[in-house]
Amino acid sequence: MATYDNKAWLLKNIRDAFIATDDTGLCEIVMAGEDFSKIFQTKAIEEKKRIKNKTINKPSTSKDRDSFVEDDEKEIATQFDPYPDMEDSDEDPMYGSWFRHEEFGGHRQRSNTAQWLDKKELALKKAAKIKVIKWEGPCPQLTDEQIVEAFQKVEVKRPQKQRSLLTEQLEKCPDFPHRQYLEYAKFDGTAQLGLPTKVFKIFMTTLPEKLQNYPVIVSVIASAKIKDLIGFTCYKYSIEHPEITLGSVHDYGLCIAEDDGEVDWAFPCLDNNEPCSKFGFTCLGLIDVKQKEKIVTTPIPDLDMGHSVFCFPKAPDSGQSHVNSKQHTGGSDTSEIMKAMHSVTEGNKGFGFQSGPPITDAPQDKLYRVQLLHKMRTSTPVQLCITLDQIEVVPLVTQKHAFWSRPKYFLHSMNSVAWCQMLEAKSNKTSFRIVYSPSHDTAFNESFTSGTSSTFQSTAIYKKHDFECDHDTARKIVDKVNTILDLRNSPCRREYKNAKEKKLQTRRSFHTKQLKS
Amino acid sequence: MTMSGDGQAGASQVALVTGGYDHTIKLWQAHSGVCLRTMQHPDSQVNDLEINPSGQMVAACGYQHIRMYDLASANPDPIINFEGVTKNVSRVGFQENGQWMYTGGEDCTARIWDLRAGRQFQCQRIFQVPAPVNAVVLHPDQSQIMVGGQSGIIHIWDLKTDHNEQLIPEAEASIQDIAIDPEGKLMACVNNKGNCYVWSLGGSPPRPVPRKHLHAHNKYALRCNFSLDSTMLVTTSGDCSAKVWSTKDWSLIRELRHDSQRWVWDAAFTIDSRYLFTGSSDSYARLWDLEKGTLEREYCGHQKPITALAFRDQAV
Repeated sequence: MATYDNKAWLLKNIRDAFIATDDTGLCEIVMAGEDFSKIFQTKAIEEKKRIKNKTINKPSTSKDRDSFVEDDEKEIATQFDPYPDMEDSDEDPMYGSWFRHEEFGGHRQRSNTAQWLDKKELALKKAAKIKVIKWEGPCPQLTDEQIVEAFQKVEVKRPQKQRSLLTEQLEKCPDFPHRQYLEYAKFDGTAQLGLPTKVFKIFMTTLPEKLQNYPVIVSVIASAKIKDLIGFTCYKYSIEHPEITLGSVHDYGLCIAEDDGEVDWAFPCLDNNEPCSKFGFTCLGLIDVKQKEKIVTTPIPDLDMGHSVFCFPKAPDSGQSHVNSKQHTGGSDTSEIMKAMHSVTEGNKGFGFQSGPPITDAPQDKLYRVQLLHKMRTSTPVQLCITLDQIEVVPLVTQKHAFWSRPKYFLHSMNSVAWCQMLEAKSNKTSFRIVYSPSHDTAFNESFTSGTSSTFQSTAIYKKHDFECDHDTARKIVDKVNTILDLRNSPCRREYKNAKEKKLQTRRSFHTKQLKS
Repeated sequence: MTMSGDGQAGASQVALVTGGYDHTIKLWQAHSGVCLRTMQHPDSQVNDLEINPSGQMVAACGYQHIRMYDLASANPDPIINFEGVTKNVSRVGFQENGQWMYTGGEDCTARIWDLRAGRQFQCQRIFQVPAPVNAVVLHPDQSQIMVGGQSGIIHIWDLKTDHNEQLIPEAEASIQDIAIDPEGKLMACVNNKGNCYVWSLGGSPPRPVPRKHLHAHNKYALRCNFSLDSTMLVTTSGDCSAKVWSTKDWSLIRELRHDSQRWVWDAAFTIDSRYLFTGSSDSYARLWDLEKGTLEREYCGHQKPITALAFRDQAV
């Protein structure tokens, strides 16, 4: 997990976020002269040179000094360098989309000449495939024979009455369901040449579960608005699946989703009137706006567990729900993003959040105040309640206005918790991870609400929460959870352990094979 | 019927092709309305489209070029590019065996392009007229070409004798399009005043005899076309309509309008004369059932006005 102690990285990202989210373009003008990334980059290069000179001047035992220097240059890290793992951290596309601009991360801008040469080469290649016929002046004199050969008068026959294949085809296919979305067909990116396009993976969350497995991959022109993207998705889907009826385009919204299709319900829908090009996300979930309203407007659950489960009809999917009382169905988000930006910086200041004293001293039921780490490298304070039966994550809302840190409420049955371990110990805090399986949670919710016993699914998907708090609390929590887990030894935990063990074994065997060979 | 867009339109021989101001040419699956392919027509709008007699290729003419595209492959680029014309090429058509192609353009010429490869003699020919050419059409007897343009004159160019005759249907009006019915008995033209003139060609000796003057539209007329059975004539116009006329009594059979339809640039009949395709400035092509007068299909995908379309039907 990354922290935000790199000035260059932070400044660059804040700057980019400002520019990227400012419709008016004012930010860009104001900040035009202050591209921190460049300033720091130059500083880093200078620093490197300085360090390098130092090392070179030192007596060296290496015979091949040149290669030594070259290798070493990459190794030299200065305080101005961005995080080393920044580029290969693609586990979270969201992070990449809002905070990091495309060109960040050292893509060298190609020179105009190089681009021009490329274009020229492409055009030449294309032209080579096209046969060019130049107009040649008219033949001076055609003989009568030649004229007869080329321009012979033919007898005009009365065309016969014919049946048309098209008419037949039309009769066979009286109508198509995609017709209602036809107006969106013009946003098809695959049917454009020369226009910038964007490709999205869209998960159709409104469909029955078995149809949700694969996302619809749509390519639209970049200037298409989100509502056009919705329309085009419906269009494309109904062409590919004429047997499925979709609703009106106005009933749908697009939400940010993860690679596996899980929609992040805490975020508002993307603004229908904004162009697609504005958003960096490529994984989106098509959702029913009404359904979202229902979920989003659900009141804050009290800590009584029974209620919280009933409150969130959508919860069984992942065992999560929402503590938002504010409706957001696609209003302009720019200001909210700005606020969120602020909250990042604020959030960082309060990073050394200390865990509070336990509220209750009951040996099995413990409440801890910890920081829930988000994928976007922010964190929110939550109350972690661990009992013998369940783990509850209750957000402690401190930043009401920051839309992205509108926290989620989670409730996991101990049966669905598979693993708990320390991750990383830093100077004043330790992070730890709880792995759970939503599929086992579903079973839990069912049995919980209906009181019937349930069978566990054999193929489980594991998800995780990462937390952070001081060393002692972290150790206590991890110990406690592990003790409970060992006590229960649920199928979920056994499966996870087995899977882990297998993984390790295959790795080991691979390793030994490699060593032998 | 499958709707998969695998570019099989060439194989099934039913092909609808549209082109326009967005510098693209689109191939459609006519019965479903799905766009199968998009081809690039660089640097120019498409003034006219014509599918060649074999049905394998479509010719598109625009500024300084006539380009031929392969309908059966997925190649978005033309395979043949005819150049050497200085201005817009407004019309293109083929001799019935595909031996040669004819064009007309704003450089005040009509041209014959020899398409036969590896021949000793080439039958390239050029016909100069005093004004930019808007319309060129080949008589079904394959030996006369009608050339009309800004001057309002229709030149009848006899390819065998190289003689030409002139017709001036209306003074101070430019000829926008000319059509000859498949039986070679009727010739129609429309002009920029919205008037349509019809001649009989069937007499002996075969010279045009004025037959009918239709005040077809109140605005600029753009195209005219006969149905394959010669019973209908369609005229399209800047008044946002296409009108279908009976060639028997010159009565109006259908007036094809749609709320969002704007200028109608081009029209084509199916071979059974039951349906009509139109292409419009609202970037939609439409399919109309002429028997019922209903709109059957819409073809959406172009970003800008559709100015030309070509349709190839197949007999069953």
